[in-house]
Amino acid sequence: MSLKISNSVKGKTAVLKIDGEVDMFSSPQARNAIMELVKQRVPKVIVDLSEVSYMDSSGVATLIEGLQLCHKYNGKLVVAGLRANVREVFELTRLDKIFQIFQDVEAAKTNG
Amino acid sequence: MNAPIIKIRDLHTSYGKRKILKGINLDIYPYETLVILGRSGCGKSTLLRHIVGLNVPDAGQVIIKDVDITQASEAKRDEILKRMGMLFQNGALFNSMTIGENVALPLMEHTPQDKSIIKIMMRMKLSLVGLSGFEDFAPSQLSGGMKKRAALARAIAMDPDILFCDEPSAGLDPIVAAGIDQLILKLKTALRMTIVAVTHEMASVYMIADRVCLMHDGEIKFLGSQEELKKSADPYVMQFLERRPDADRLDPENYYEELVA
Amino acid sequence: MADMKATFGQSGRQLAFFFVHIARMVRLAGHSFVWIFVAPFKGKKLRWGATFVQMVRIGVESVPIVGVISFCVGLIIAMQAAYQLEKFGATIYVADLVSVTMCRELGPLITAIIVSGRSGSAIAAEIGTMKVSEEIDALQTMALNPIGFLVVPRLLAMMIVVPCLTVLSDFVGIAGGFVLALTNLKLAFVAYFNQTAEALYAKDFITGLIKSFFFAIIIAQVGAYQGFNVTGGAEGVGKSTTTAVVVSIFLVIFADLLFTMLFYSTL
Repeated sequence: MSLKISNSVKGKTAVLKIDGEVDMFSSPQARNAIMELVKQRVPKVIVDLSEVSYMDSSGVATLIEGLQLCHKYNGKLVVAGLRANVREVFELTRLDKIFQIFQDVEAAKTNG
Repeated sequence: MNAPIIKIRDLHTSYGKRKILKGINLDIYPYETLVILGRSGCGKSTLLRHIVGLNVPDAGQVIIKDVDITQASEAKRDEILKRMGMLFQNGALFNSMTIGENVALPLMEHTPQDKSIIKIMMRMKLSLVGLSGFEDFAPSQLSGGMKKRAALARAIAMDPDILFCDEPSAGLDPIVAAGIDQLILKLKTALRMTIVAVTHEMASVYMIADRVCLMHDGEIKFLGSQEELKKSADPYVMQFLERRPDADRLDPENYYEELVA
Repeated sequence: MADMKATFGQSGRQLAFFFVHIARMVRLAGHSFVWIFVAPFKGKKLRWGATFVQMVRIGVESVPIVGVISFCVGLIIAMQAAYQLEKFGATIYVADLVSVTMCRELGPLITAIIVSGRSGSAIAAEIGTMKVSEEIDALQTMALNPIGFLVVPRLLAMMIVVPCLTVLSDFVGIAGGFVLALTNLKLAFVAYFNQTAEALYAKDFITGLIKSFFFAIIIAQVGAYQGFNVTGGAEGVGKSTTTAVVVSIFLVIFADLLFTMLFYSTL
């Protein structure tokens, strides 16, 4: 199973839209996409998870690494559009405290 | 209810001439916690070993997600095994590795994940079982309860669909044992796993079981919910619940024969 | 009479068991080699990291002991040879005797025996302990094959390291002969060196290495087999460890006999 990933960089903000199931075997794809943005030192990365139907701990770990790398250059990584079951995974691993989570991409763009 | 995730059909096995399992039939459904209960030597651990493919039965089938693992090729069985986790009675942590390496091992071996991601995942699992900061410890440096928590972290490293626990609270003091039971319960709701636990402790049963399967002498004596178990009129079930010992059947003449034979 | 029957029955049974064990060991070796040669093509990687760790443990750490013992043995053969050859005033031939015996026979054999005692036993103990503490079961439930995970790195390490140790043993043993020749026998260095060089043929050296390669396989397989065969707790581990050393030394010497017969009649 592979993910559909698209990103659009506009000025200081990049939106990374992930579509599919993020599991042990597909999450390296997401990681590569995040790495690319990190290399360009994009100040604000919004990860749009509205089309992610499932995410396991490798997906969450990938996002944490992204967050860490962004922090290194004082960038930001926020997530948006979590479905209920993905939100559950975040809450379980207590990452809702670490990440800035937004309703949707628009909210993430204007706030945070 | 959904279709069963595990179907056990007419499972027979024996050690030498002694029959251990005498035709077990059992369905296990997704997201339930089934506790297999029974006294020592009733065949409950053997049953568990057959389900996870460690032992091969004399006859019968164990079908996990439509694959009969008693017949499946090694590659197919491995695919099923990667989606299951097993907590062993004594933890069975690899003593030559640190706690962190233990938890990371299945991820390193079976997934294409980068080392840095695996490290984060390993720490997440350790924090989930309350062992943050213990990744560089050797298993021998941990107490019994901590070892079991670490083993649990390893068992859930791959985000399994099914978690098997062999005597999760055996050998632990009641408080630590209750802690492990609670942890299993928490992981179940959080990770949406099917859990199959083997135990002889009623306290564990009351805490975690959705359904109870009581085994005796290689057969299933009872299968049902906790309420049904309490209401059961089966003499063996009642004896087990009331902790009554077997009646002492001493035959004076035979006793003499036994001693002098 | 009944006693005799019991004794012979016992020995017969043990002999039968012995062959059953050998057959199972050969099967384990078969599985191990399938892992080495076939599995990598099916996307299962060989564990070179673990192999390297084992190479250090089996090889590097036994360099001092192999060195010291080989030196002593070289010295011993030289003295025994000199004792005989002095009668004919032919002490220069000590060079032939030491170098040929070391390379053809004693180098491989001494190395194999030391490695059996040090590492064959360690393999049996490690795998045995893992069996007792359910670690082997744990590997299997994680879809990690114990042969691929535990046996293959040890086997590969043995196959690489034992021939290397044998080369070391050959040279140090010959050096032992040199020491006696130069001190006690008052032979000239160049004369002794030339004599040694002339006495040794490549085949002496190579047959020794071929042997040591097979000894390595025997030691690793016996150790692993005894490890997997452990039953009944810590006591069982101890028993299997001892058995591993005894059986591997026995099989090494038996294999040595077969090889020597083969090389003696053909080369």
